Amino acid sequence: MITGARLGTLTGFRRLIASAMSHDLNVFLVPGPDIARAQGLDIESSGLQPVASPRHANVLLVMGPVTPALQEATAVIYAQMVRPRSLFVLGAQDLSSLPAADVEAELSQQGLIEGVNRLRRVFSESAFRPSISDFDVPILQIRIEYTCSMHPEIVQDEPGSCPRCGMFLIPREVQSMAEHRHMNHQKINTDAEIPVTFTHNHGDHQHDASMEYTCPMHPDVVQNEPGSCPRCGMNLEPRESQTESDHDHHHMDHADQGNMNMDHDDMGFMSMIDVTKDLPRSEDGLPMEWIDAPFGPFFPGLPGGLLLLLTLDGDAVARSETHCLSENTELVQSPSMEPPNFIERLTCVNPLSPIAYRLLACRALEHAAGIDISAETARARIGALERERIASHLGWLALFAQQTGFDWLMRRAASLQLKFLTAEFQQIKVLKPSVLALIKRLQQTPLLKSRTANIGQLMADIVSYGPVARAAGIDNDARNDDKICVALGFTAVKQIRNDVLARLQVRLDEITHTLMLIEAADAVVVPVSNTVGKISSSGEARVETPRGMAHLQLTLENGQVMTAQLDAPSTYHLNLINPMIDQQELGDALMAVNSLDLSPWEVLQ
Amino acid sequence: MTTVFILISLVFGAYLVAVIEDWALTGRFRLTAPVFSALALLGRESVLPRKLDRVFFEVAPVLLLLSAVLAVAVVPLSPDLIITDLATGALFINAALVYVLVALLMAGWGPDGAYAMIGGWRFLGQLIAYAMLIVMPLTAVVMRAESMLTTEIVVSQAGLWNIVYQPVGFVLFFIAAMALAFLPPFDLPTSKGDLAGGVEAEYSGVRLAVFRLGRLVLIITLAAATVIFYLGGWQGPWLPPWAWSAIKILVVTAVMLLGGRMLPRIREAHLLSWCWIFGIPLALLNIFLVGVLVLVFP
Repeated sequence: MITGARLGTLTGFRRLIASAMSHDLNVFLVPGPDIARAQGLDIESSGLQPVASPRHANVLLVMGPVTPALQEATAVIYAQMVRPRSLFVLGAQDLSSLPAADVEAELSQQGLIEGVNRLRRVFSESAFRPSISDFDVPILQIRIEYTCSMHPEIVQDEPGSCPRCGMFLIPREVQSMAEHRHMNHQKINTDAEIPVTFTHNHGDHQHDASMEYTCPMHPDVVQNEPGSCPRCGMNLEPRESQTESDHDHHHMDHADQGNMNMDHDDMGFMSMIDVTKDLPRSEDGLPMEWIDAPFGPFFPGLPGGLLLLLTLDGDAVARSETHCLSENTELVQSPSMEPPNFIERLTCVNPLSPIAYRLLACRALEHAAGIDISAETARARIGALERERIASHLGWLALFAQQTGFDWLMRRAASLQLKFLTAEFQQIKVLKPSVLALIKRLQQTPLLKSRTANIGQLMADIVSYGPVARAAGIDNDARNDDKICVALGFTAVKQIRNDVLARLQVRLDEITHTLMLIEAADAVVVPVSNTVGKISSSGEARVETPRGMAHLQLTLENGQVMTAQLDAPSTYHLNLINPMIDQQELGDALMAVNSLDLSPWEVLQ
Repeated sequence: MTTVFILISLVFGAYLVAVIEDWALTGRFRLTAPVFSALALLGRESVLPRKLDRVFFEVAPVLLLLSAVLAVAVVPLSPDLIITDLATGALFINAALVYVLVALLMAGWGPDGAYAMIGGWRFLGQLIAYAMLIVMPLTAVVMRAESMLTTEIVVSQAGLWNIVYQPVGFVLFFIAAMALAFLPPFDLPTSKGDLAGGVEAEYSGVRLAVFRLGRLVLIITLAAATVIFYLGGWQGPWLPPWAWSAIKILVVTAVMLLGGRMLPRIREAHLLSWCWIFGIPLALLNIFLVGVLVLVFP
């Protein structure tokens, strides 16, 4: 039976519908299609059809790592699905905020296919049930709070009147979840760039010489001391009386005229101009309704686990906040770890590029222990690292294509990625022509250049790594310092345009170049650990992951890993988002974010 | 009788379009998939979003379906197979399809959700881009036929189909028709990758089924309009007229559905500027050329 069944007895017609449902399984993926592919899952060939909105899904597929914050988001997604709905979990997971999984299977393509078959059976048998239970978790509950329309900083839990102006407070709904998120997670914010008058704490400025007091309804009433308005008796509000407000007025010519008219009329009611005059204005000066919309953490065109909270002015981004709900916390599980366990731990840190992190751990341990590896092993490791780079770039292409609705590319890149993930050296040679054909086809695709050029441009003085940096002409590739890599013929691929098109070009050129490197390396072997003796030392290593240079420092005591510090490229790239998408159209903004190829998993708290 | 026949063929056509679209999307040709999808949608709950505008939310899918079905009324599948041969037929198709915009705006506004609302706005912008490119090529077609009767327009192409007679007009109309049917690469209002489904995102169950049916019928309507205006309607050798209509409509539909998956979604700003900077001058040029042709070879 399924816990998300729809109310009703399974009679003739419903039986037919239930069996139709079992053939039409629309799946919403958690944490996302990128993670599914990186784990080698081919969702569509298993018979599940991925959909973009939870409202259109009847299967929630949870696979791969789910942090506590992601679990809450998953519960919200599950609640948004309409009945009959089912929960399908791959791999052992702790999902306390969700009902018991309807079907569980192991995390592999085999498990997926077998699970889908069971899911079909379950659907045709129990899509409708005579009695159902509600799904209710605390994070879904909605709280009502009360606020003043003139003074947004006044917020209280109970109805009443505003202590400033005496107006009735207006109820508004807040999700308890949003609050929760803000408390727990790293927040990157650039609110400061936009003057938001209502966030000033007026209380701190009470005795400031530059403060003056005015009535919110009668702006011509201005005095230097607090008090009440001689016209309407409302409490006067403090405001700053310097040139800054003049500056605002240049942007608000219309509002000014409106104010003047109103003063002469001496109207006693609230006008839109008054209500909106203190609200932030967009750069084009056209006042539109601002809406707050979350994009993520399971948004179809963004990496799974990344949450963008955008304030949209029409369809342009006015403000943005970025959260990573998939953060790992401790690299070394206390108090210390055996080196082989540490390597496994680091392999799991970033599901989007496990081999690069594995190599990072191996190299750091070897550096600490002073172990030298043979040139042959080093070459084979480079082969594995570069194979992962191709798979990762193809995965990025698939996500990019999904976001831009480029259906053919999405399918082609995704199927090639799945093949490259586990391809042996000989298979890579076989796959080479189809990858090159894909790249050639892409370079001839109409609309692609015009769609991506001049979007997502970054400042010149940014800190960036990997393809993002190389698309801006910065060459800080860790492979430049790797003698074996250079001997294999490595040169960094560069572009200077520094936009989405350049990042796309760099990744395509890297795929071509990397295929050559793998052929030169002549082997592909996933790195394994050498035994580290009972030593006490410290070591470090750098690896050029598909997203850029990652740096690991660790200390060993008695052959045990005590501390480890990881410096990953996505941590820096997160900071690029806000300035990059400011005032961009929504589609352009999301494409720009996507072009950074962020991995929220490697961002450590 | 004609009405019933055309409505039945419309439902069957919608089914075939769904099969073609499924094929374009998944690469598999499955005759049963649309049937399963439709039945499954009927069996699912159709939830109402909180804080919705009930009237807009409920009316939008029905209005989309209705406006597409209305336009079919003037589509002749053969000389006799037409619901009503209006004297203003060519104009009527355009008039009926204006409500597509209204339906999408209502669907965007209704659920009070950010994704849907932005989708609705996007389509409003899209209208400004494609609207002139529907009407202006139509003008040239009507000039040649010297009539707005859709049957007359088909007959006027007996010697030479309009796709050859006025190829510029055909290209413009075809692109505009795809934009009107919000097919990829013009699927800005229902974009999955950057709006999680846009105006469709909040619909579920029966309402979603109606919305999707409306979209399928809209695609057929526009394909049928393309066939009547540019591909000689029912005309063709050997086969009966209705068969030619059906074949041509399906071929146009397949081209519309398959073409978009080879391209990335267009930027709204580009769509607007290209339509106005290149599209409208070309459409004027087309009218001028057709005018000269009509005068020189009457």
